Amino acid sequence: MKSVVFFDSINISVPRREIFSRLGYRKGITRIGKDQKEVIEGYIEYALSLIHLRGAGRRISIKEKSFSNIVLSNGVVFESKNLSKMIGDCEEIILMGATAGDDVIESIREDTEANQLTRGVVLDAVASEMVDASLDWIVDYFNRELRRENKRLTKSRFSAGYGDFILENQKKIYDVLEFERIGVKINENYILMPEKSVTAVAGIQSRFSDAKRESESE
Amino acid sequence: MNKKSSVKNLLKRRILVLDGATGTELQKRGMPSGVCPEIWCLENSHVIGRVHSDYRKSGADVVYTCTFGANRIKLGQYGVSDVVEMNRELAFIARHAIGKRVLVAGDIGPMGHFVKPFGDLDFEEAVDIFKEQVRGLAEGGVDLFIIETMMDIQEARAALIAVKEITDMFTMVTMTYEKDGRTLNGTDPVTALITLQSLGADAVGCNCSTGPAEMIQLIATMKPYATVPLVAKPNAGMPELIGDKTVFNMEPEEFAAYGKEFISRGVNILGGCCGTAPDHIRKLKEEITGRKPLAPVRKSVSAVSSSRKTVVFEQNKHLLIIGEGVNPTGKKTLQEELLEGKMTLVRQIARWQEKKSADLLDVNVGVPGIDEQKTMEGVINLLATVSNLPLVIDSSSIKVIEAALRLYPGRALINSITGEKEKLSKLLPLAARYGAMLILLPLDDRGVPETAKGRKEIIKDVFKEARNYKFTKDDIIVDGLVMAVSSNPHASLEALETVEWCSGNFKCRTLLGLTNVSFGMPQRKWLNAAYLAMAAGRGLTMAIANPEVEELMNIKAATDVLGNRDEDAAVYLARFTKTVPKEEKGVLQKAITPAEKAFRNVLEGNREEIESVLSEALREGASAAKLVHEVMIPAITEVGELFDKKEYFLPQLIASAETMKKGLAYLDPYLRDDKSAQEQKGCVVIATVKGDIHDIGKNIVALMLSNHGFDIIDLGKDVPAERIVEEVKRSGSEIVALSALMTTTMVNMKQIIDAVRNEELKCSFMAGGAVVTKSYADSIGAYYAKDGVEAVRVAENILGSVIK
Repeated sequence: MKSVVFFDSINISVPRREIFSRLGYRKGITRIGKDQKEVIEGYIEYALSLIHLRGAGRRISIKEKSFSNIVLSNGVVFESKNLSKMIGDCEEIILMGATAGDDVIESIREDTEANQLTRGVVLDAVASEMVDASLDWIVDYFNRELRRENKRLTKSRFSAGYGDFILENQKKIYDVLEFERIGVKINENYILMPEKSVTAVAGIQSRFSDAKRESESE
Repeated sequence: MNKKSSVKNLLKRRILVLDGATGTELQKRGMPSGVCPEIWCLENSHVIGRVHSDYRKSGADVVYTCTFGANRIKLGQYGVSDVVEMNRELAFIARHAIGKRVLVAGDIGPMGHFVKPFGDLDFEEAVDIFKEQVRGLAEGGVDLFIIETMMDIQEARAALIAVKEITDMFTMVTMTYEKDGRTLNGTDPVTALITLQSLGADAVGCNCSTGPAEMIQLIATMKPYATVPLVAKPNAGMPELIGDKTVFNMEPEEFAAYGKEFISRGVNILGGCCGTAPDHIRKLKEEITGRKPLAPVRKSVSAVSSSRKTVVFEQNKHLLIIGEGVNPTGKKTLQEELLEGKMTLVRQIARWQEKKSADLLDVNVGVPGIDEQKTMEGVINLLATVSNLPLVIDSSSIKVIEAALRLYPGRALINSITGEKEKLSKLLPLAARYGAMLILLPLDDRGVPETAKGRKEIIKDVFKEARNYKFTKDDIIVDGLVMAVSSNPHASLEALETVEWCSGNFKCRTLLGLTNVSFGMPQRKWLNAAYLAMAAGRGLTMAIANPEVEELMNIKAATDVLGNRDEDAAVYLARFTKTVPKEEKGVLQKAITPAEKAFRNVLEGNREEIESVLSEALREGASAAKLVHEVMIPAITEVGELFDKKEYFLPQLIASAETMKKGLAYLDPYLRDDKSAQEQKGCVVIATVKGDIHDIGKNIVALMLSNHGFDIIDLGKDVPAERIVEEVKRSGSEIVALSALMTTTMVNMKQIIDAVRNEELKCSFMAGGAVVTKSYADSIGAYYAKDGVEAVRVAENILGSVIK
């Protein structure tokens, strides 16, 4: 099993389109006055000054798998038909996670208490989209590493709490990723804190088998 | 002649041809997938030896050792601990395979872990890891080094420093760029070039990721700023899936055909990466043989860089502003934060100064009692990730400057050197080692000369000394050294004369610490702005100033136009040309009543004005109840309709709702005697369910309901069923509104509903949240609302209907 790769600062382009879309903006329909736009852009800028994207990823080989579970080389077992199906014939997986940090969450809380909900909502949307985009960045990073081996990550990734991949798995991923090292905690309900923290699983496939499997599924 | 000089001499005469891909060649020749290539090559030395010799026979002048992943971290994953031996042996194999007429380049690839500030690996640990590899390769007799396929500029710097601290051999560094023309960490080719060539790389370039057509553009971008030869090692096109194999489908002839254009655009060292084979190199060699390389176009370049941006100090370009915000002098809050080791304010100042058009950021952390080195390192690590701006390292401590230069992932500007003998003797070699630029304060051991004449002598002396360390006039910026006019009325003019002499006669770049001039005077911004304009007229290159001062930045924009430093006045026009939409002009021109203003305030979410507008309306005789029912509620209803039609999005909806809330709070005292106005529609207990900590959606719903006349009891988030039961009992509320964001917590809604019903309490339930659907709400006996606007309608309907 390879060691955890930590990313202490992830630099990504701000996903403005996704942020506006998350806030309900519809191109050609939503009308924003110049002053309102400046205010919202100011909130986005403020959010960016508070967000510190950090992440982690770990490459682990699969020891055993069946249609309903996956046993990793470190003994961790994921029971999920959905995940097994997505992993397909992969022999390895990548566990990954990212967080937007504490500062932005604290500011959202303060804004809510101070009746500054407009800014709080924008901060919330920016943090959500930034942390999602940072997972995309981690995927790009591993794809870059895997390119020399003629491998890549599956295009889909799976997160605990979706389908039959129950939220309890978040703790297993959290432990394997040594997520506490980037300031993330997990509570008894398997919720990551700070709130804008995410984890995911993706498979590692040869470029050939991945493309073949995807075309089959189409 | 040493090995480095030999390579440099070769490059003056001709293009050097590098080998092609090693990995894909080894796979073709039997290396299985998933093995450690270095171990496999040691066990199958005849195979890698054949790859090397095939490239030699194809005409390669340089062959890379098969040591791309031969570092402690990667080899450790395969149980190899003797890194030096592994590298030495693989270098021997390469040498043995190709003989002495072809050069062996010791190949260093990325470690698979990012270096701080981008990763968790300490910079010095990274340098040590690379040093281990460098030692092995040097012992194995390599002729030069290649640091390749780097996506993190800090890792490339660590590797380059490792080579430089072990050996004086010729060292090439190539980064790998994504489709957007930047590395994964966001470094562009010019920035990588400026950073690496100043740090001592003997050649810089790019490899992998792209085919030749795309890589030619990267080379062309770098050439104008290159003081060193440029390297390109493109893939054989982009990978494509043909049948059951991934192939790089560019044939050798097609690949080689790009050779001439590479050379005409300025490449000096050319080879192939993934998908290229000995035939590609053979054809390439044939194509370019006899062609003369383009030498680097300049000997030095006046430019600094961060990890993501370069600022070139070109003549006749706009006057540059060095943001002075990250300096605790006179800033108590910043001092306290730095002493406590907090960085939030630094982060905000840096981002804000960048937004306000600062070109560089001065970083000074000098506070009495602080660990300056540790704090400076912390701030540099932070700013390297939150700001794109190159940094000016501002400290009087040489130890602090050294620590900063080693860590800073770009080419820094040091603030500052002087003519003081001891300082000069320490700082010049330090700056030379890390390739930093310098700000020169024209003072010496005798103090600050009062006149420009005295300062000129110091400037000449320091430049003379700096030449011994190969600094040129591109590398040093002279500070005119302005003092306060309040204590010396000649101070401003002496500094201006120094600036003018430097710009005109001496021909070097200049700087002023602008705000010094106004110290002790009232309304300092006017003196600062006027002085900036005067200095700009004398040829000033840059000023240390506060870009948040609007007056100063306006004057700067104006002087750039008047000094012909803003082509087509483009920046000026962008700054001052603001178009007001026609409909807004119409509104401004038309006189509207206070009530109409209040309506617009709610509609446009203008929280700042609502109280004064309502006050005006009350003064003109409107009743508070009428303002609520005939102005504000229709306004917020229209906002809801606009939101439904998606003409408004969430921030607009909430801004309007908050304006409404503020307006209602203002009117509250006037409504107390008006029963009709006080009438509540009903009481709603609202909560995010147990286990769920996401409450922003719930807060929006609470705000909307409150604005529409509902009495809200907000229990917060992670609320257990018992607490909700208790509150419904106490308040007798008609509605319980529940929110959940996750499927796992959504199920708690049913438990709450069951618990309330078990107590036979008469109330209705509303459910909402990211994962909640109408069918789920139906299944647990709750009404569904998809957002805050719908929640109002649902709540109003509930109170007009039967209990669900």
